[in-house]
Amino acid sequence: MAISSTPTAAALLLITILFLLTTHGTPLSSDTIVSELSSLRSQSSTGVIHLTDSLLRRILSLPTPRPFHSLIFFDAHQLHSKPELSLPALKSEFSLVSSSFQSNNPNENPQLFFFDIEFQESQASFALFGVNSLPHIRLIPPTASDLKSDSIQMDASDLSRMAESMAEFIESRTKLSVGPINRPPIISKKQIMFIVAVVLIWTPFFVKKLISGNTIFNDKNIWMAGAIFVYFFSVSGAMFNIIRKMPMFMADRQDPSKLVFFYQGSGMQLGAEGFSIGFLYTIVGLLLAFVTHVLVRVKNRTAQRLVMIFVLFVSFWAVKKVVFLDNWKTGYGIHGYWPSSWQ
Amino acid sequence: MAPPETPQPTTLRHAFGNVLSVFVLLLIGVFAFSIRLFSVIKYESVIHEFDPYFNYRVTQYLTKSGVYDFWNWFDDRTWYPLGRVIGGTVYPGLTLTAGTLWRILNSLNIPLSVETVCVFTAPIFSAFASWATYLLTKEVKGAGAGLTAAALLAMVPSYISRSVAGSYDNEAVAIFALILTFYLYIKTLNTGSLFYATLNAMAYFYMVCSWGGYTFIINLIPMHVLLCIVTGRYSPRLYIAYAPLVVLGTLLAALVPVVGFNAVMTSEHFASFLVFIIIHVVALVYYIKGILTPQMFKVAVTLVVSVGLIVCGAVLAVLIALVASSPTKGWSGRSLSLLDPTYASKYIPIIASVSEHQPPTWPSYFMDINVLAFLVPAGIIACFLPLSDASSFAVLYIVTSVYFSGVMVRLMLVLAPAACIMSGIALSEAFDVFTRSIKFQLLGSTENLQVNNAGESTNVAQNDVVKTEKNEDSQKERSSRKSKKKEKESTERVPLVSRIEQKLLVLPLETSLIAVFLLVLLGAFYVVHCVWAAAEAYSAPSIVLTSRSHDGLHVFDDFREAYSWLSHNTEVDDKVASWWDYGYQTTAMANRTVIVDNNTWNNTHIATVGTAMSSPEKAAWDIFNSLDVKYVLVVFGGLVGYPSDDINKFLWMVRIGGGVFPHIKEPDYLRDGQYRIDSQATPTMLNCLMYKLSYYRFVETDGKGFDRVRHTEIGKKYFKLTHFEEVFTTHHWMVRIYKLKSPRNRIRGKTKKSKSKASSTTSSKRSGTRKKNPWH
Repeated sequence: MAISSTPTAAALLLITILFLLTTHGTPLSSDTIVSELSSLRSQSSTGVIHLTDSLLRRILSLPTPRPFHSLIFFDAHQLHSKPELSLPALKSEFSLVSSSFQSNNPNENPQLFFFDIEFQESQASFALFGVNSLPHIRLIPPTASDLKSDSIQMDASDLSRMAESMAEFIESRTKLSVGPINRPPIISKKQIMFIVAVVLIWTPFFVKKLISGNTIFNDKNIWMAGAIFVYFFSVSGAMFNIIRKMPMFMADRQDPSKLVFFYQGSGMQLGAEGFSIGFLYTIVGLLLAFVTHVLVRVKNRTAQRLVMIFVLFVSFWAVKKVVFLDNWKTGYGIHGYWPSSWQ
Repeated sequence: MAPPETPQPTTLRHAFGNVLSVFVLLLIGVFAFSIRLFSVIKYESVIHEFDPYFNYRVTQYLTKSGVYDFWNWFDDRTWYPLGRVIGGTVYPGLTLTAGTLWRILNSLNIPLSVETVCVFTAPIFSAFASWATYLLTKEVKGAGAGLTAAALLAMVPSYISRSVAGSYDNEAVAIFALILTFYLYIKTLNTGSLFYATLNAMAYFYMVCSWGGYTFIINLIPMHVLLCIVTGRYSPRLYIAYAPLVVLGTLLAALVPVVGFNAVMTSEHFASFLVFIIIHVVALVYYIKGILTPQMFKVAVTLVVSVGLIVCGAVLAVLIALVASSPTKGWSGRSLSLLDPTYASKYIPIIASVSEHQPPTWPSYFMDINVLAFLVPAGIIACFLPLSDASSFAVLYIVTSVYFSGVMVRLMLVLAPAACIMSGIALSEAFDVFTRSIKFQLLGSTENLQVNNAGESTNVAQNDVVKTEKNEDSQKERSSRKSKKKEKESTERVPLVSRIEQKLLVLPLETSLIAVFLLVLLGAFYVVHCVWAAAEAYSAPSIVLTSRSHDGLHVFDDFREAYSWLSHNTEVDDKVASWWDYGYQTTAMANRTVIVDNNTWNNTHIATVGTAMSSPEKAAWDIFNSLDVKYVLVVFGGLVGYPSDDINKFLWMVRIGGGVFPHIKEPDYLRDGQYRIDSQATPTMLNCLMYKLSYYRFVETDGKGFDRVRHTEIGKKYFKLTHFEEVFTTHHWMVRIYKLKSPRNRIRGKTKKSKSKASSTTSSKRSGTRKKNPWH
């Protein structure tokens, strides 16, 4: 008993001492770190602190529980050009959350810091978190000691709805309220005032012109061109490109040096592909209209004949091309139903 | 006007033309009807898919109980235990139409079943729709364009996709109502007749009854009115065409229970009221201008315009205040996603996730309107030369609908009539020019003939014009006052002159011949495509499936087998749980109460079923038992390779369930982000109810448990069910029905374990030796 009790007591003593030491040491170091972070934060316009390996190490050296949460945005400049990751947009949303948090919680002793970390200069930290794909946002709770397992990754669904969903994520995980997101208006107040004034001054003149009937709105050719353009825009599937943020073209999977302009498979299309087909759709109708309304008024027979041949050739080619591309893209085998005796 | 010098041949010619037109229209109607019968010929006369089954059931109820009971119908067979108020939540147009049709036929002693009437409602109304297209296009650009447009609409694939025989859905009658409303609006605009204005309001009422898409009309017509006013085309005819429509139309629309006060309280309708105010201000200005001298008018105009502006401003302010007070600015999510296409993908995932709300790619246009896509621009240009009230409306219609179709593939259906009208105009004008060129130059080869014929044809042309002029005049005389006549005459003199000129406007003979040949070729390609689309792409009823393999045709009729089993072998009040896709079919075909159905109005309820399906057996049993469920129905395609089965929809059940009950987490069902059911699958996946019900005894079919949809062997092959028992599995295993074991049996089962075990093994052995499926 006695033999066994001594080491226990020693261990207890040791723990107590350690505990005392840490409790004694914590306020000092964490205070300095917090004040340092606060000053860093005030230096940045959006309140996002740029995290480096050394800064991260210092933060992590604080004993748990740390007095604050950390939300880290993992960034890589080399990937900013990839549209499917939309890193720049996410980053700006992230800083929006940060600045909104700062303005909504003007607290001397902040409980949440926003960081961003760059892959090129802090690869070690990326490895520390085990981050190998972007976009990636991670929350380090005050109690976290092991970064990989204790920190919480923001889900893709939380990223999807931009700043608002990030704020929800923060609120649900940290019990800290971000408050309403203060999006900067697209145009400033002064600009709005200026525009309103210009419109107000301009309106009477415009109405007068409109009534007298010599604005561009009374020119039917403008309307015609507009209508044709809307048609072209829609049938080319441009709306699909905008909503899905499709690129104009992409590199071939097998051979990255080659560019792919036409995507096989009907569920998707590339930008250039859509516009070229939209052009083919539109050109045939335009040529037909040209022939039936303009060319018939031309007096010169030879000119008529040449233009007609050109028009017929182009139209035939365009229709044939679209039919061919459609069969290639969708894989449908469109066929007629002939009487079986004909075969 | 003055009677033509030689009335005999021209009247004959006209009579012949009219008879021919009627005959052609009749043929177009027959064609529109018959091209939609592929589904009946290839399969049988059944109602298709999911929603039509609900409409069918409602129609049955209507024919059985009458209109008043239908209006007050509270349906306790669905959404158990909540129920659903049917009368107040459906667009009744389709149901009332088919019900009336059935009643008329029965009163004529033609004893058709309700189902037959429902199956053929859509083809009948597509014939009507093509006739309405003829009328509309005739108002815009004349009878020739009208006939062409009607023929094109009769077979446009986009419309066929929603109106094949058996596709008993709202759109089937709504497209007809849409075109009819537009026709009557244009007709009123051209004639200024209050009679047509009233009819227009009635047609609009029918549209409101039929489909939520009526908001398109009530925004498009005000837009056109505004456009006319802005471009200085205001006329009393415009006022007559618009004001009664708004007043009567809104009152009538508010009568439909599902619309009700929405007709005056949602932002979708505000545009019409705003334009209503504007047109009154404009009408007042024109009136005052008419009664005052120019000097007086200048004084008055400042007064009136300023007062009018103030009134407008006040009303506008009230409207804006009203709109701004509601969170979505008074617009429903779907409308907003049309105005701002990126809205849905950002904020409403449930709308963004539905496949028919996706933006289309270019092949969709080629599939759905085919070669019309090439012809529409020519039609647009033809509408501008010359621009009239009617043709400007046609242009507005095509532009708005083509934009909307670009946002949502579903709205291709609204684009289709516009595309047909435009292409009809384009084709008709092109044929006009080319055949004229051929005619005059072929006849011009012999000199005397040309002189004779030129004289004659001028005569004919003249007579044509005189005749049409007379027609229009007699129409207009009834409605409009003399003062306008002078103006009209002057406008109608122009075509007379231009016709004579046009005789000289010809193209070279041989190129015209080639052009006609190519146009005919284009038309032929269109016909081939449409017939192919109708026969192959859009005719599958999805309740009966077929597959063609080297050893002939296979028919999979498992769904009806299962539903009839339910209706014959279960109690009337038993509750059947399944994923919501099969709710409408279960209530309509098996006549059993379901927990959730395709009218997905209560997310929590759906999430409850989703949670049960994703839970282990015991938890699922508890959930189902608390809902009084007796039977659980799952759809399983692994044996025959039917891809849209419940295992493939399972992740949605998990997501929707997890959205309400957080203990269901999607990652638990995924191995490294991948959805799999093979040996790599997660234990949660392999133990959830959906997996067990789908794959129970599956290994007995081929000894390996190879799933033909997922192309893999299943992860857990041998397991027993503790809380459910299999009661029925269809021929191809596509539908499997399980019964919840009652709790008492469960306790006794433990004590008599050995006995039950023995019996179950013998039964399975017997079935195993005899056939794969014990129920067959």
